[in-house]
Amino acid sequence: MLIELALRNLARTKVRSTLAIIGIVIGVMAISSIGIFGESLKAVILENFKDVANEVIITPNYIHGYTSIDARTVRKIETIPFAETVIPVKSESALVEYRGKKTYVTVYGIDVRKTKDLFELERGTYKGCLVGSKIADFFKLRVGSRITVAGKDFRVTGIIKEGARFDINPNYAVILPLRDFDRVFNDKEYSMVIVKVRSIDKIDAFKKAVDKIVNRKENKVSVFEMKMIIERIKNVFGKVTLFLMAIAGVSLLVAGISILNIMLMSTIERTKEIGLMRAIGAYRETILKLFLTEALILGLVGSAVGGALSFLGGYSIDILILKTAKYVFAPSSIVYVFLGIAFGILTALISAMYPAWKASKLEPIEALRYE
Amino acid sequence: MIELVDVVKKYRIGIHEVVALNGVSLSVRDGEFVVIMGPSGSGKSTLLHLIGCLDKPTSGKVIIDGLDTSKLSDRELTELRRDKIGFVFQQYYLIPTLTALENVELPMVFKGVPKEKRHSRAEELLELVGLKGKEDRKPKELSGGEQQRVAIARALANEPSILLCDEPTGNLDTKSGKVVMDIIKRLNVEEGVTVVLVTHDPSLSDYGDRVVRIRDGRIIHAD
Ligand SMILES: Nc1ncnc2c1ncn2[C@@H]1O[C@H](COP(=O)(O)OP(=O)(O)OP(=O)(O)O)[C@@H](O)[C@H]1O
Ligand SMILES: [Mg+2]
Repeated sequence: MLIELALRNLARTKVRSTLAIIGIVIGVMAISSIGIFGESLKAVILENFKDVANEVIITPNYIHGYTSIDARTVRKIETIPFAETVIPVKSESALVEYRGKKTYVTVYGIDVRKTKDLFELERGTYKGCLVGSKIADFFKLRVGSRITVAGKDFRVTGIIKEGARFDINPNYAVILPLRDFDRVFNDKEYSMVIVKVRSIDKIDAFKKAVDKIVNRKENKVSVFEMKMIIERIKNVFGKVTLFLMAIAGVSLLVAGISILNIMLMSTIERTKEIGLMRAIGAYRETILKLFLTEALILGLVGSAVGGALSFLGGYSIDILILKTAKYVFAPSSIVYVFLGIAFGILTALISAMYPAWKASKLEPIEALRYE
Repeated sequence: MIELVDVVKKYRIGIHEVVALNGVSLSVRDGEFVVIMGPSGSGKSTLLHLIGCLDKPTSGKVIIDGLDTSKLSDRELTELRRDKIGFVFQQYYLIPTLTALENVELPMVFKGVPKEKRHSRAEELLELVGLKGKEDRKPKELSGGEQQRVAIARALANEPSILLCDEPTGNLDTKSGKVVMDIIKRLNVEEGVTVVLVTHDPSLSDYGDRVVRIRDGRIIHAD
């Protein structure tokens, strides 16, 4: 009956109630749409790194004077059961020349069977010398071009697809099969080891194993998890999303103030009714509940509509900016819709608190005699 | 049983003090019909509001069925009004958004009477006041007399032992005024409801078992 009464009261001032609901709709829609967009943006960016999430990079512990990793250490790492693929990498800065042009680049030596785990090719095969897309652009290289690396000639067998990695920048890299690298740079030791761990939740166990097996006597190597970097990115984007949502939240604030306003008007207009209800046996809390129920209905309706429309909003922004809508309905996006809905309802309730309290504090006889 | 002991009610308007009731003592037995008469501004409504626990006296005691109301909390006073007292006001004070039936149900809603029960009781009450068939009308679709009868039905919803009427016929023509008064009288006679009715209309004094006259906040003559 309280709900019924609340509904009728809202129906009594239809235009006012509708405007209040529209306010909430816009607020919730703004918050949730931006939430969806933020989440989609994060997902699109992280998509690039999804293959590296389970990777760990082992580097020499420079602080303790180690500048390279020896083959023995690599073999030890290979024995750790959580390691799925172990890719030892050698690297050296070297002058690369082609048809009179020259530039210094980082040259990597990686086992030919393993390069495919790290890079995708735009063209050609993994068999021999690979060059990054920016290098290829710079020299105008094609598969089959002959380049000179640190004075020795190599035939380019593949061009690496543009991409992003934290350890090796594929766009500016020149990659040689280990044997060729050793020939050019005289059996250098490894500069890092990239390990793909069986699964993300095994990373901690792997790190412990490295500490036990490799770093038992001395801290020879350091271990970096890609996971950490990805967490950072997630974190930053989470904050950006939150910030954008806070800006969108201003519209909800406005909606809240409009609810506060109409509720205050309502308490004044209905003073006599409140007095009457108190006279015939309504507790103060009953009056409080009545007004809060009215606000709750405004909040629920507005938030539900706003929540539904936010998919439309999120979809539009995603298509416009990210050119893809595949993350609009992702569970992590939907969380933001619920967040928006929760905020919408909360805003309505909080805004109604003061008017409801005021109404409940009216003395019955003064309210009845109010003109 | 209603007992007023040396009740004083003062209102403060700015620096001025208005003495609405100046030492009123009165007792009303169960089942009695008391008409309180007096000119406008004499303090009749104030007296009725104090009896009905809508307001508190500045000094003195209002005792309802042996309960000193000055000792009760707001919650307890609310329950007292809800369960023991029915109000009928000159302006009816029906809730405009609710139908006649729902208006009658309202005190039962506040008491927590189950839906079925309050529904059938409200129907009975509307029939009692002669409004059968008009249950679903909104107040504005009813005449003044009909609205006042809805208000009486509402006042009776929780079977109060006391019915307090403030100029119940004040806004009605003679004919509908008589209908309303007859209903109130019948309730008093047949159901034993204690009635305290205030008015400045001398023609209503015949309905009472007793007439109390009030002037300038004092009882001047009680018979
Ligand atoms: N809330 C109030 N504030 C100030 N003065 C008040 C208030 N209520 C009543 N009074 C004053 O108290 C006195 C008694 O008022 P009350 O309403 O009880 O008179 P009444 O006998 O019911 O008059 P009427 O027949 O016109 O209804 C009047 O002088 C009135 O002006
Ligand atoms: Mg009066």
